[in-house]
Amino acid sequence: MATHTPHFPDLLFTGAARLRRWEGRLMGLLADADYAELRSSLVMREPHADASLRFFDGDQLVALRWDYTTALARMLATRFAEPPPRVSYAGPVFRRASQTWEPVERFEVGCERIHADGTLRDAADVEVARLLMAVPATLGLRAAMLQVGSAALLRRPLEAERLPPDLAQAVAEALSRRALHRVQASLGGHPAVGRLLAHCELLLAGLEGTEGLKALESGPYAALLAEECEHLQKTLAALAPMVPSGLALRLDLADVQGLAFYTGPTLRLYAPGARQELAAGGRYDGLYPDLGKPWHAAGFCVRLAPLLDLADARPDLFQELNP
Amino acid sequence: MNAVLNTVLIAFPKGRLGDELLPKLAGSTLALDEAALQSRALRIPTATPGVQALLLKGADLPRYVAAGIAALGIVGSDTLDETDVDLLELADLGFGACRLSLCGPRGLDLDALRQRPHLRLATKYLRATEAWLEREGLTAELVPLQSSVELAPILGLADAIVDLVQTGGTLKAHGLEEITVLGTTSARLVAGRGAYLANPERLRPLAAEIIRLLSATA
Repeated sequence: MATHTPHFPDLLFTGAARLRRWEGRLMGLLADADYAELRSSLVMREPHADASLRFFDGDQLVALRWDYTTALARMLATRFAEPPPRVSYAGPVFRRASQTWEPVERFEVGCERIHADGTLRDAADVEVARLLMAVPATLGLRAAMLQVGSAALLRRPLEAERLPPDLAQAVAEALSRRALHRVQASLGGHPAVGRLLAHCELLLAGLEGTEGLKALESGPYAALLAEECEHLQKTLAALAPMVPSGLALRLDLADVQGLAFYTGPTLRLYAPGARQELAAGGRYDGLYPDLGKPWHAAGFCVRLAPLLDLADARPDLFQELNP
Repeated sequence: MNAVLNTVLIAFPKGRLGDELLPKLAGSTLALDEAALQSRALRIPTATPGVQALLLKGADLPRYVAAGIAALGIVGSDTLDETDVDLLELADLGFGACRLSLCGPRGLDLDALRQRPHLRLATKYLRATEAWLEREGLTAELVPLQSSVELAPILGLADAIVDLVQTGGTLKAHGLEEITVLGTTSARLVAGRGAYLANPERLRPLAAEIIRLLSATA
């Protein structure tokens, strides 16, 4: 893939064919699981994120679709009384890159599991994670790692301690960088510094399996997080027997990227040699209520641009699949 | 091909931080091969088979790590804070500690600078300076300089400078002094997010070894 800055990728024959094939395979995987495709307009007329590519259509400021989940949520919330339970999507989104080598035009395939009944949460989270576990084999990726975390493990303590939004964001960013020293520097003399630091230390401990969750039981927010820990434990226990060969399933309690969006379990797919995650998702129960619908949702998005880069750089990681 | 792919590269800094770092590694599992160090070799073998070092300028180093070329790196927090690169920052290694300070000609104080209708500050650390100005409610023209920043107030290019101060010797030699400290900096152990999270079995022990070696001698 060519690399210009800003990076609007032109795909030559091999890349274009690979993208088409991968989109088809992933949409087939989702269709087999009863996910039905929706296609939102490439132009979004609603308020736009800072990272969006904006332009004037006459005297109206519009943006190129910068996020599929947001675009679909607006579409579903305005057109349906009850949520379609399973939706999928494929196509480009345009977002200004935070890294010079990241493409501005990003090719994505993803799915959303939406439900009005909150008791479906456990099953929905397992369903979404199970589908994401099938993605590497669907693309012929020989080795990958799925990291499972939970945004709630930091979000709830920060809310309970009533940290101002700026400070909460600074703590989340520092923890996401695995930088305990920066968490400490951000909190400074805050009254909750001792508790929050002890909690972040537990999240960063990197304990294997469910040991990390057990460690939280003796932490300062044990009662507050008991339900979320139990949910995460159940999810991991349900997923463990389904892990396909070539995929490692790991608990990553310090995965707190996207804390403003995710409310529960988070999923991130990595592969050796990839400089960034290849897919990401999780539970985001705040999105639809913000749009006036009491719906719950979980989903993931496969990022095909870094996968195309990886296939170029490390063809040994991919096996050829029959077209 | 496989040997190359199986080699872990660690990016070490050149310059002031590197001068402090390399003696700390001498005799350790990560000591650099002396012969390779004296040569023009790009990859310097270490005492641990399969682990090699790249010696890079501090400003370039985060990009090599973020791109996954080097799995781990050591870089000053001053450099990290001035770049947009998304990296894991696994530890504050403690050594290479400096103050990032506002400095000016002897006798000049902060109140005097606040009175200037058009304050000019020369610095290499634009983001840190902007953040401090915002905290202080001040505005200033920032004069970006890459080196010999202390010349700026002497020759009239700026009223004061924001620069790293370790002993204060260079400032003193130029008739300058610290007016106020904006923050402190030190060496950090960094890792590429994708590389580190995809290969924890290999990289976590190596990161722990670097922390053990360097934190103990900070």
